[in-house]
Amino acid sequence: MNNELPDPGCGHSLDELEEYLRTGQSAAEQHYLRCPECQAGLAGLRSLQRLSGQLAAADTEQAGSADEPWLQSILGNLRLEMRSGRSIPLSSEYPEDAFFETEGSLLALIRRIGDDVDGATIGKCRLHGDITTPGADVMIEVNVTAFFGYPLPAMIESLRSRIAAMISTHSELNLTSIDVTVTDVHEHFSPAPKGAVNE
Amino acid sequence: MTVPDRPRLNLDDAADSFLVERASDGDVSSFESLARRYGPLMRGYARRLTGSTADADDAVQETLLQAWNQLGKLQDGSAVKPWLMRICGRKSIDLIRKRKNTVNLDDVEPFDHGPGPERAVEQDTQMRSLVEALKRLPLEQRQCWVLKEMGGQSYEDIAKTMDTTTDSVRGRLSRARTTLMKEMEDWR
Repeated sequence: MNNELPDPGCGHSLDELEEYLRTGQSAAEQHYLRCPECQAGLAGLRSLQRLSGQLAAADTEQAGSADEPWLQSILGNLRLEMRSGRSIPLSSEYPEDAFFETEGSLLALIRRIGDDVDGATIGKCRLHGDITTPGADVMIEVNVTAFFGYPLPAMIESLRSRIAAMISTHSELNLTSIDVTVTDVHEHFSPAPKGAVNE
Repeated sequence: MTVPDRPRLNLDDAADSFLVERASDGDVSSFESLARRYGPLMRGYARRLTGSTADADDAVQETLLQAWNQLGKLQDGSAVKPWLMRICGRKSIDLIRKRKNTVNLDDVEPFDHGPGPERAVEQDTQMRSLVEALKRLPLEQRQCWVLKEMGGQSYEDIAKTMDTTTDSVRGRLSRARTTLMKEMEDWR
């Protein structure tokens, strides 16, 4: 290796070596494997890469943990800006009054009720249909992660009936169907749900 | 019969794609789990790019706000980490542009929480030398280098972030690499 320049003195440039390292292939591979200058160049590039990784890791460590005030303050600022979804109209006795509930509040209720069904954790959850127009058909789509060992048909039936009851209590939506899809089964044996898992 | 403890999926243990799915439906606690998971990574990266803790915090906040609003556009939830890092890199560079060289970029100021982890960097002579060598690089070379080596961004992403061409990015990275390699010879 030439002392003045980091380029190997054998006609191959540092950029070529870097590309070889990055892509793992080069027409000159056989040369790189035999040429001492190129080997030294590759070793140098590797240690630069290693150092960069270490510096990134040190930067992350120095940035502090996620439960420190800096992140709490950022999240606090964001909560004010996080969207609450569409506005769902509610009827009122007096036509000059306009009442609404937010889509976000209904989705949060669906999620809370769904998470309370044994063995279920709600994933994706959407209201389909024009919920901003009173009386329009609305369909609810819910994805569920189930814990292993819970009978799925009973879980789904329970989800359907509880969500339907909640929607009729807390909104005036014209609910036409609730589509429940079990997207994942999660293994979780401790603590074991008694009577549901054979031990 | 006693009521069994129901197993609950702890969001902090959940897969990125699961959190993205829930967060893009408006679930704030899933989004906050993502923020906790990648917040420190983004903050350290943004500070390396901007040289300032206050700017780093601003960059992280703007990154999270944009992420929250555009999460629905992210096709593959498991790619949320590089996606966040791309946004964070862009927000950091934008912040530097806005204040137009008014801040001294020669020094990356330390985080304000005592003499703890800074030592890890100080103690490693080679890493210290790398930090010094980075400081001496021209600003745009240094930015390209940090975006690529520490942010894991592609040439195309860096070109977009820096508002330039991939050829120019290639050239800057090549010059930065040559300088750093040359200096590294002296560290041995």
